[in-house]
Amino acid sequence: MSDANVIVRTEPWNKPLPNIDQDNAPFWEGLKQHKFLVWRCRTCGACYWPKAYCRNHDNAPFLENMGWEEASGRGKLFAFNRHHTAFHPGFKNDIPYTYALIELDEGPLVSSTLVGDKQPKDVYDVGQKVEVIYEDHPAEGFTLPRFRIID
Amino acid sequence: MAKHPSSGKYAIIGLGVVAGPQPDHSERMVATEAARRAIEDAGLTRKDIDGAIDLRRSGGAGDRANYTDAYSRVLGLHNGFYFTVGRGGALAGLGIATALSFLDRGVASYVCLMGAVTDWSQAQESRKHGHRGMVHAEKAGYWGKPLGDLRAVSHHSWMAARHMAVYGTTSRQLGAISVAQRAWACMNPEAKMYGRPITIEDHQKSPLVAEPYHLLDISLVSDGGIAFILTTADRAKDRPKPPVYVLGQGFDEVSSELWWEKKNFTHMAVQRAKKQAFGQAGLGLADVDCAQLYDCFTGEVLFQLEDYGWCEKGEGGAFVESAAIGPGGSIPVNTGGGLLSCYHLGDLTGMAEAIRQLRGEAGERQINDCNVVLTTGHGGELLSPGMCSIHTCTLLGRHP
Repeated sequence: MSDANVIVRTEPWNKPLPNIDQDNAPFWEGLKQHKFLVWRCRTCGACYWPKAYCRNHDNAPFLENMGWEEASGRGKLFAFNRHHTAFHPGFKNDIPYTYALIELDEGPLVSSTLVGDKQPKDVYDVGQKVEVIYEDHPAEGFTLPRFRIID
Repeated sequence: MAKHPSSGKYAIIGLGVVAGPQPDHSERMVATEAARRAIEDAGLTRKDIDGAIDLRRSGGAGDRANYTDAYSRVLGLHNGFYFTVGRGGALAGLGIATALSFLDRGVASYVCLMGAVTDWSQAQESRKHGHRGMVHAEKAGYWGKPLGDLRAVSHHSWMAARHMAVYGTTSRQLGAISVAQRAWACMNPEAKMYGRPITIEDHQKSPLVAEPYHLLDISLVSDGGIAFILTTADRAKDRPKPPVYVLGQGFDEVSSELWWEKKNFTHMAVQRAKKQAFGQAGLGLADVDCAQLYDCFTGEVLFQLEDYGWCEKGEGGAFVESAAIGPGGSIPVNTGGGLLSCYHLGDLTGMAEAIRQLRGEAGERQINDCNVVLTTGHGGELLSPGMCSIHTCTLLGRHP
């Protein structure tokens, strides 16, 4: 992944913190290493996000047949909204922002903000290819995934 | 169609409503007063009530009552059981399903079901600290919070957006739902928006909150409490108010199929719930005189009109633009104004309106010869992406 896909932010974080728990900690650790992980079944290859028991067949105890694996970090814009209201004071300088549903090339839907100059022109303008951008917050100890349109 | 043996064997005999902002009353007292009114309405005393259920918006949003006291204790009921039931806005439907098992086995004769909220009063407080809307009710730690997914509208607006992108639905069409429900609210003196009619231009000019949703696509933030008394059909016969019979109930989950098919942004989990409820009642869609459809946002109303089959999938926009759901329409929807224009007490809002329509107590907005009402509930966990919800379908009738 090139440096163009990394943004480093040093200003103090004044927004809600990520919810990092026992189940998703490897995913958040992957983001810090600039890798976008999905939860993959080694029996049939199906991908999940967030973590789940593979739905296609029975599973080994505590999912020993599945694991986090690096994904392409690419997908398509599935749907989006544009926030014009800052519900939390930390977002006052961010509005309007585009909050998008991304259909990853591996299958699952994920959500994040769409950053960059290329923005969809209206709500009907979906299906564009997107890729992940890693927004590092070194002082806070986490990396957030954002997405941008690449075609 | 043959009815299920349980259809028409249970009935609602009392209704208690506390509506409107309650800055002078705690949630505990709003809850208890709603229960007192329901018992009085049923012509009973607190000594007759032998079971109590507290309808709370648990599930994804956590237990959202702001008090730790049972209304049954505060009111001094002689009940043999009390516990909480509910999932997001699916409260009344799940409460009825639960209460029926106690009535069926003779464990209880009269069960009081009550749900109360003080969201409006709490939102006034959080506004002072720069937070907008229902911050007090949002569960900490949901995936999207650091990214700006802060309120229900942050992810629910994808449902409208995706439906628009797939089927060409327009914001004006969603607005037609707001306008129709506001027209109903203007015939309901209890509605927050009574006396405040709107036009489609008002909808289009209202502020964009999370585009495509305007302010007028979004449900109200309310205070209030609603309680009702459920009993067996034989006990319901000699009460002061006409009984409202439970004809059928069905349930379905987004997590069973729609989530995996990525159709949860254009469909609600209606099919199994509809089949079960209408099957038990031995009824079809044409038998429904009015529908109280869960309407946290306009999109959910549109989806349900399609999913139940009043129109084809994707044609909901044209259907609502044809004035089908407003006063004088072919299928009156949310006849008290709904969550959009009356008040937001989850599916209790529609349940209270259904009871009034079936009793003939709906005043200016009364549906002529109203025999069967469909009510739905909706609620669930906030996952990423979006919400994974239950759909509840309850058919109520004037006759067993």
